[in-house]
Formats: sequence, structure tokens, C-alpha cells
Amino acid sequence: MIQLENITKVYQTKVIETTALDNISLEVPEGEFLSIMGPSGCGKSTLLNIMGMIDEPTTGQVTVAGKLVGNYHSKATARFRNEQLGFIFQSFHLINELSVIDNVELPLIYRKVSGKQRRQMAEAALTQVGLSNRMKHFPSQLSGGQKQRVAIARAIVGQPRIILADEPTGNLDSAMGNEIMDILMRLNQEQGTTIVMVTHDETMARKTHRLVRLFDGQQVS
Amino acid sequence: MFSSYFKLAIKVLGRHRFFTFISLFGISFTLMILMVTTSFLETELGSHPPLTEKDRMVLLPRLIMKKMVTDTTWSVDTTMLDGQPAYDSTFTVGKMRQNSYSSSSLSYSFLDRYMRDIPGAEAHSFFCADTQFDIFINGKKLNFKTLYSDAAYWEIFDFKFLAGRPFQPSEVERQVQVAVLSRKAAVDYFGTTEQVVGRSIEMDGKQLEVIGIVEQPSNSKGYVTSEVYLPFTLMSGSALTETGFHGPFTAVFLAESPEARATIVEAIRQKAGRIPLPNPEDYNKLELMPATVIGLYAYHMMPVQDDPEGALQMFTMVAIGLMLLFILLPTLNLINLNISRAMERSAEIGVRKAFGAHSGSILAQLVFENVVLTFLGGILGWLFALALIYLVNDSQVLGDTQLQFNTAVFLYSLLICLVFGILSGLLPAYRMSKLHIVNAIKFNAL
Ligand SMILES: Nc1ncnc2c1ncn2[C@@H]1O[C@H](COP(=O)(O)OP(=O)(O)OP(=O)(O)O)[C@@H](O)[C@H]1O
Ligand SMILES: [Mg+2]
Repeated sequence: MIQLENITKVYQTKVIETTALDNISLEVPEGEFLSIMGPSGCGKSTLLNIMGMIDEPTTGQVTVAGKLVGNYHSKATARFRNEQLGFIFQSFHLINELSVIDNVELPLIYRKVSGKQRRQMAEAALTQVGLSNRMKHFPSQLSGGQKQRVAIARAIVGQPRIILADEPTGNLDSAMGNEIMDILMRLNQEQGTTIVMVTHDETMARKTHRLVRLFDGQQVS
Repeated sequence: MFSSYFKLAIKVLGRHRFFTFISLFGISFTLMILMVTTSFLETELGSHPPLTEKDRMVLLPRLIMKKMVTDTTWSVDTTMLDGQPAYDSTFTVGKMRQNSYSSSSLSYSFLDRYMRDIPGAEAHSFFCADTQFDIFINGKKLNFKTLYSDAAYWEIFDFKFLAGRPFQPSEVERQVQVAVLSRKAAVDYFGTTEQVVGRSIEMDGKQLEVIGIVEQPSNSKGYVTSEVYLPFTLMSGSALTETGFHGPFTAVFLAESPEARATIVEAIRQKAGRIPLPNPEDYNKLELMPATVIGLYAYHMMPVQDDPEGALQMFTMVAIGLMLLFILLPTLNLINLNISRAMERSAEIGVRKAFGAHSGSILAQLVFENVVLTFLGGILGWLFALALIYLVNDSQVLGDTQLQFNTAVFLYSLLICLVFGILSGLLPAYRMSKLHIVNAIKFNAL
């Protein structure tokens, strides 16, 4: 589903040059639930962003869902992201001004979907994460776990084939973290969604199909 | 998509009350000024009765006489020749220089003799504006502005008659004692405009029969704004028989089309060069100053001598300059506010892009939000403008000018809002739309 070939990412600042990723090649087959671990600063987020086509590698090739990624800024790439990918961030990144249901609808407003259908799809996604009773709430009225479930609903509403989650349980206590993990695992099992998750939690990582460890921009296992 | 942008725009504005307040204050104040200015220009320079045909009119308000002299200098050089001083003198003939100058409106006899057959003029009228009369009625003193004219005046200026009719050529010729009153004069004198036609008014020792009542022109132009309109043949004293060139009269000519005005202007200028002056020792050069309605308006506002076209250019430049300044300053301010605030929303932009928004839709969203803000400001500004116009009209600080807010002004205002909203939103929105997704999301947490 995702192929990375000889990916290198170098951040060039005036003072120093940081090699965030050093010649990484990795393949994620369709339907796999992959976790990525490693110490802080080793390049996990960078790797995930490159898989999600929201960051550009310095060298190397990225192929997502059979498509070699070319121009990162084109309309076509934006549309491809919209249809194939769903993101979950550590700090949720919900839009505070919008209600829960409007937040979940967000990916759909960049598609040709009628307002009524958008609403139906968003309701279905919220039901899936167990939040159908919080639709009119605003993010500020939700707990961290609930916010992350809204974020998951937003990531799955467009039925993407790939979910990329950057420390989705990082800001949550273990009970809430487990809830989130259950939802992701169910998604992977029931719908065959390919999931790549960055985590610091060994027990979470052990629940996934495969674990990749990074150290200083290199894959160590 | 736009309904969701609209929803968001309203929510964003509601959430950032301080920003909204500051922006709305700036926008509504600016738009109020622009709307009142537009209203002012539309009232003063638009085509309304009695100046519906203003674009076909050429006015002749001024006659200038000059004495031109040639500068001559006589210089003497002294040199020593054979031990004797020798003198050598030279005359230098310099440029023509103006020595004395006299400028005023024109006499009836001058107009009657020289200005009756101007090529290109379909009609012409001679009139004398701005005479004042005190009238006593029931122990109260009224001061009436009076305008004396011929009958053609009423054909050129399309006054709106509330009642009655203008005076006829035969009445002018036979010196029939009739008068046309403005609405205000009728109300001041008779207390009403109903059934005033046929009654008489006493003025300047004459009993005048009121034959018509006209709507008050809402602008400040002295050649149409008056309170009593009389046949010019009723003028007393030597006003009509005086043979000098200067006098109290103004002429107006009606061209076939706006373009044909140039012919009339040219004809008047040329004619000035061929008219013999009565006392060449005093004045040896005659100039006439024809002007368009707008040119004359600018002439009264600008410090330019005898040159309505130059005045109009200056007026236009000053007006455009002020308008630009008035639009530019708040635009820059709003751009600045937008940029600083857009940064707060960088994470939102990053998230939107990650979920499939391309730069174009981000740009559209942010500009749209700004246009919504501007239109809110526009509505406020519009209310302020209506209030200000009401105050201006009520207090009569602009004299006879009664500002109007009509459809034209409203449409101009809409256009101003739209331009303002797009201008001030575009640059910040463009910058935001080009943000790199990862950096945008990292920039701050929502
Ligand atoms: N925009 C940037 N400019 C310069 N250096 C950067 C930039 N983004 C990341 N880096 C560097 O790249 C390296 C990898 O960063 P990355 O965010 O991928 O780490 P991470 O493994 O996700 O860390 P954490 O677990 O703390 O989230 C780090 O050394 C970081 O300092
Ligand atoms: Mg990270």
C-alpha cells in the first residue's frame, strides 16, 4: 500500500544540517497495522508525514496506493490525499470554532458531496467512534479522549484506505488510550484499513502486526 | 462549500470579538466616509433635475479684461575710449506682461450683442443669479434669493414643477409681473404650497403674481438654486441698459450632445478675440471663460484662476488622491490585522490541507471570510452614513445641498465594499494558502 525507497530527509538550517531520515526503505502492505517507535527526535513524525504526502523527502521515491507521488503542491495531490488518506494527530487539531459534526464533515467539503449526504456520513462516522450523542458540542466541551475520537471520526469519514496516526494516545491516560487503540484495531480488522501509527507505548505497539524501530533517522528493526 | 465557509466566518468573527470589533470599527468608519463622499458627489455632480442635461451644457460665467504691456529695458554701458568715457545704450524688448486685470460676470448688453448666435448651441439663456431681497410679511423679515431669467432658462434647466408653469417669452417681453417660487419660498411666505398659484407676493415694491412652484434643487449651484425666479425684464436700474462688458449676467448654452460642447467652447473663445474693446488704453485683451457644469464646480473649489479645465483636473486628482488615501490606510491596517490573525489559524489551514484542501480553496475561504467581514462593516457603515447624511442635511452645513442616498450611491457602496474586502483579504490569504502543511500544523496547536 505504501512503498518508501531510499528516503532521506535533511533539514537545512543556517547553523546546522539535520538528517532526520537516513536512507529508509520500507513497505507497508495493504491491510497491515504497523507501528513505529523510537526515541524523541529520531524522525518518526517525519517518516509518517512523508508517507502521508504532507512532507516532501529530500531524496527517494514514495508510492502510495499504487501512485508514485510527484508534485506535492498540485490540486491532484490534494484530491488524492482527500480520498486515500486520513490523519490523526497527537494534539487532535480540531477546529475550535466548529461543532463536532462540522469538524467531522471537514474532509467532505472538499469533495462533491451534497450537504445532506455529508451529514449522514459524518453521523455514521461519529456513531462508529461512539460519539453520536455529542454532535452539537464544541471541542472545548469534550474530554481529551472524546476529542481524539472526534479526530478519528474525521479521519475515517471519507473512507480512506490508509490512516496515519502520530501518537494518537500520547496525550491520553491509559484507559482512554486503550479505547482509541480498540477503535483503530476494529477499523483495521473490520474494514481492512491500512494503519501506520507512531507510538511511545510498547503495549500499544505490541498489539499491532509489525513494529518498526527508528534510531537517529535509521531503521534498526 | 460556501455555506460552510459562511458559517465558519461568522463563528470566527464571534470568537475573536476584539479583532472583529477593531476591524469592524475601521471598516465601517472608512466605508461611511466613502459612502457619504459618494453621496455628496452624486448629489452635486449627478444628472438630476434641474440639471438632467448637465452634460450638454456650457456655461459662460465670467469675462476677463486685461491690459498687456511689453517689457522694455534700456541699459547703458560705459567704456573708456581714448581717455574719454563713451556711452552705449541698448533696448531689450521682452515678453508680453499683464499689467492690469479685471474679471467678473457679464452685462446683458454684451451677451445680447455678441452671444446670441454661437455655432453648435441648440438653445441659450441669459440670467442673473444671486440677488437678495428682504421681504416683510406679518412683521417677519424674510430674505429671498432671487434669479432673473429669460423664458429659455426653463427649457434648458428641467425644473420639477410642483404646481403651475414657468413664464412665457411673451410675458418676459411684456414685463408681466409674474414669479415662480421655490417650495421653500412658498412655505416661508404663504405657509403652504397648496393653492399658492394665482396669489400674489409683494417684493421690491411690486405686486407679483405667483404662476408656478418648483422643487428645491438639492445641490449648491448658484445658477439654479434660488427662491424666487423672475422675468429678467423686471430688473430695475441700469442693469439692462449698461453698455460696459461687465455686469451681473451669466449665459448658458445647450449643445446637441456632450461631445458637441467642445464646439461651443471653442466658438466662444474665438469670438472673444474678435470683439473690439471699448477703451483699449485701459484694457486691450478680452477673454471669455466658458465652463462645463463640472468644470465650473471644480473652479469654485480649487484655487485656480480663470481655468475651469485646469481646476477640474486638479479637483479630480485631489479627489482620487484623498479617496485612495482613505481606502489605502484602512486596507493596510486590515491586511496587517489579517496577517497577524491568520497566523493563529495556521494549524487549521494545515489540517484543512492535510485533509485535501488545495491552496485555491484555502485562498477562496479566507478571502470570502474577509468579504463577509467587510460586508458586515459595510452594513454598519451604511447605517452610520445614513445617520451622518441625515445630520448634515438637517444642520444645513452644506448650505442648500441636500445629500441623497439613492440606488446609484448604494450600488457604488456595494462595489466599494467588495473591492475593499478582496483587496484587504487577498494578500494575507495568499500567504496563508501557500503555507507548508507540516510547518503550518506544527506552528501552534489549535
Ligand atoms: N522544520 C524543521 N527544521 C529543522 N529541523 C527539523 C524540522 N522538523 C524536524 N526537525 C528535526 O528532525 C528530526 C526528526 O524530527 P521528528 O519530528 O520527525 O522527530 P520525532 O521522532 O517525531 O520526535 P518526537 O517523538 O519528539 O515527536 C529532529 O532532530 C528535529 O529536530
Ligand atoms: Mg513526532
